[in-house]
Amino acid sequence: MAEEEQSSKKQSLKLMGILDIQNTPCAREALLHGAGGSVVSGLAYFLATSRVKRSFDAGVAGFILTTLGSWFYCRYNNAKLRVQQRLIQDGIKKKVMYEGTSLDPSRKPRGDDGGSQT
Amino acid sequence: MAHPSQLGFQDAASPVMEELLHFHDHALMIVFLISTLVLYIIVAMVTAKVTNKYIIDSQEIEIVWTVLPAVILTLIALPSLRILYLMDEINDPHLTVKAMGHQWYWSYEYTDYENLGFDSYMIPTQDLSPGQFRLLETDHRMVVPMESPIRVLVSAEDVLHSWAVPALGVKMDGVPGRLNQTAFIASRPGVFYGQCSEICGANHSFMPIVVEAVPLEHFENWSSLMLEDA
Repeated sequence: MAEEEQSSKKQSLKLMGILDIQNTPCAREALLHGAGGSVVSGLAYFLATSRVKRSFDAGVAGFILTTLGSWFYCRYNNAKLRVQQRLIQDGIKKKVMYEGTSLDPSRKPRGDDGGSQT
Repeated sequence: MAHPSQLGFQDAASPVMEELLHFHDHALMIVFLISTLVLYIIVAMVTAKVTNKYIIDSQEIEIVWTVLPAVILTLIALPSLRILYLMDEINDPHLTVKAMGHQWYWSYEYTDYENLGFDSYMIPTQDLSPGQFRLLETDHRMVVPMESPIRVLVSAEDVLHSWAVPALGVKMDGVPGRLNQTAFIASRPGVFYGQCSEICGANHSFMPIVVEAVPLEHFENWSSLMLEDA
């Protein structure tokens, strides 16, 4: 188990020695989308204009914009998921702690006064 | 804890530190892309063969390189401000611990229920047991219950100190005559190391902080034992 963790950490690719692509959520997807966007935009510009050097400029611009867009979109959804996860964890904790008591979050409010008396 | 030649953060042990890690990844990706763009522009400028002497201005590019950085800065600032205010929230702490900085050790006081106080000195290198960490271990750890909000009141008895534990995302200056407040929640059990983070004299590097997060039952047993020994 420890060996598997160590081998997976050794294989992680770090961009500029700092950004861990494997272990950072959304990083790998963003960079792959960026690479694809770069190829598409560069190729499209070249096919439209036949200007080689400017096509490279378009490719770099496509890479940056696609990576940024994919990154922000994925991170936003990731953040929403983390908030939901935390709410669920808190809910489970509260449920476990307060089950059977008046503070039970899943307890439906009763119509009659007083509720159950134990 | 930190490992040799580490460049990045330690694994998060508190929700605030998790958020800080996420924000760091976010800002780093933006920085990486800007660096890529700048590097590309430098290479393009250096390898350009044509020099155009007749360009006076260009409204389009001026607009682009004004609006785009403003948008990027906004996209960095919004999560940054969110975390800034998140770090200031202290919601009903279950325990308050006073951390007092001295030259050159920390002392901790748990005075919520009983009067428990003890000093925390670094274990010298020659007295370490096998497996212990050099310059990080202390004779008494600050033990706290896990998954509970803990308030830490930091001050100092003599000169400036700073109580910092990177894994918990906590750093607070200890100023003589002033009480600074910070809080954290240890989301998992473990031992978390930190070091004094404000220059305080000859042994500034030799007054570490060790926080041990344990289940509540273990914390109660520990505090009973500490009170008996006191």
